Amino acid sequence: MVFPGSPKKKMMLNKKVNILFIPLITGLLFSCSPKNISTKYYYENEKALDRIEESYKALYQNGPFNLGFTDRDFKTVSLEIITDTLSYIYQFGIDETRISDTLAAYNLNAPRINTLIKEMHGIRCTWINYSDYYVDQKKQTMILMSIKPVALKSLFSYAKYYVLSYFPQPQYFDSEGRLLDKKKLRRLRKINGEVFKRINSRVCYSITGHFR
Amino acid sequence: MRILHFYTPTFQFTGSKSLILLWSIIFFASLSASGHDTKQQLLTAPVTSTQQQAIELIDKIKELKPSAHWPNIKPALFLKNLKKNIYNPVSIYPGKSTNFCGYGALSYLFLQDDPLGYATLLLQLYGDGKATFRQITFDPSPAIKKEAGELKYKGLLDINPAEQMWYLTLSDHYKGYLNFFNKKFNPGDENRFWASVNYGKFNRMAKELLHYNSDAKGADLMRPKVGSLYDYISERIKTGTVVLFINNRIVHKKDHIKIKLGVPTHFIVAEKISIQNDVITFMYWDYGRKTQMQVTTDFFKRIVFGISWFTKKEDDAK
Repeated sequence: MVFPGSPKKKMMLNKKVNILFIPLITGLLFSCSPKNISTKYYYENEKALDRIEESYKALYQNGPFNLGFTDRDFKTVSLEIITDTLSYIYQFGIDETRISDTLAAYNLNAPRINTLIKEMHGIRCTWINYSDYYVDQKKQTMILMSIKPVALKSLFSYAKYYVLSYFPQPQYFDSEGRLLDKKKLRRLRKINGEVFKRINSRVCYSITGHFR
Repeated sequence: MRILHFYTPTFQFTGSKSLILLWSIIFFASLSASGHDTKQQLLTAPVTSTQQQAIELIDKIKELKPSAHWPNIKPALFLKNLKKNIYNPVSIYPGKSTNFCGYGALSYLFLQDDPLGYATLLLQLYGDGKATFRQITFDPSPAIKKEAGELKYKGLLDINPAEQMWYLTLSDHYKGYLNFFNKKFNPGDENRFWASVNYGKFNRMAKELLHYNSDAKGADLMRPKVGSLYDYISERIKTGTVVLFINNRIVHKKDHIKIKLGVPTHFIVAEKISIQNDVITFMYWDYGRKTQMQVTTDFFKRIVFGISWFTKKEDDAK
């Protein structure tokens, strides 16, 4: 029998409080945590993300360019057009028609790039670009794509971006799923100073403070 | 070209606490160190070299032996890198995520001013482990010698050991107030304050290494007082080479933080500038290529903190 105010009852009450609050606090902490986002986000949005990557890869072959949104409201499109001699940096409002004129002036596929911009906007993709890296002195390329998911917009993760790296060929990972330099060398490969983790053999992710 | 509508915060102040603290502590030191509105003394130096002279020197070298001083530098890659820089100075690439941009801009000027001097200096440094140039002796620390050739994940810099050696040597040799708390190299320091270049340090390095007459306006935390920025820069581009010390955080955005530290972080070499209807079309060199963008005059004023103007000496110009 337990009497009110007795030490035993207090202990039981504490236990109940703990049972209620620990999962609640844990849930709050982890529901918006980068870790949770990173493990689920890709697979939840796989089709849309892969479509953006495929579109960009195909369009890049016609003429190199980098694309993104430089404002938090996703209203300002930043376009970098890369030619043999010069890079051109432009910024446009997302609804401005002159973006098509500019793309056409560089013989880029304006309708498809506009579609890509809309797709990026739809999934809050902040930036996409080709990036180079070197293995045994040989140049390799990958596509880097940054997303700012709504869940990462919480108070404690203000400046976080979910960055995906798409490699053209399977990569090597350690037992913790971290991207390695190469098979024999057990050194972690860093991209823009960040360690990336495995999603599948060709796609990795990182949670970073920068979108490029 | 279209107008860049850069987001323009009314108040710029953010960044890590340590960075803010550091800037605050040394604010006054920076004013004197960076030579605000300071006309630098004319230098007396021999006539500089031509690109052809450097090509003749470097093309004679078919093979380099491994250097005992630089155990991780592959000789063939070193030679290839050196040749590429001499043939095509635009290709100078100070690396992703590093603080080498100031050394990159300096080297870009060096290769245009005295390519033979550049080649000779780097070959001597590689062969002897130390080198003397214009009465400056570069004697890099053992940590630097071990690291050169080993820098990774910096893009093209990964396969450019001559540039790795040179930027690490410059960082090791020249110290400014930003390097005060991190003077000794440890792996990864190429991305940290150890490699940082403040405006005064850049001008000091240029004064010592280059045969140019130079004039510097501006400071690390104060914008240059030159009247019309466009008029000032465009006039100087006509007669010399202009290096700008800019706030790259708002030009080359990497995040969406609205309030940013209003300080310069990046050195670029101005190539061309024109103006129409209050919009400046601006071409510059940095990171191995040239870039063109358009900005409003107000935005341009906000980003420029230092203007260094380099002109050939009369003897050199002949």
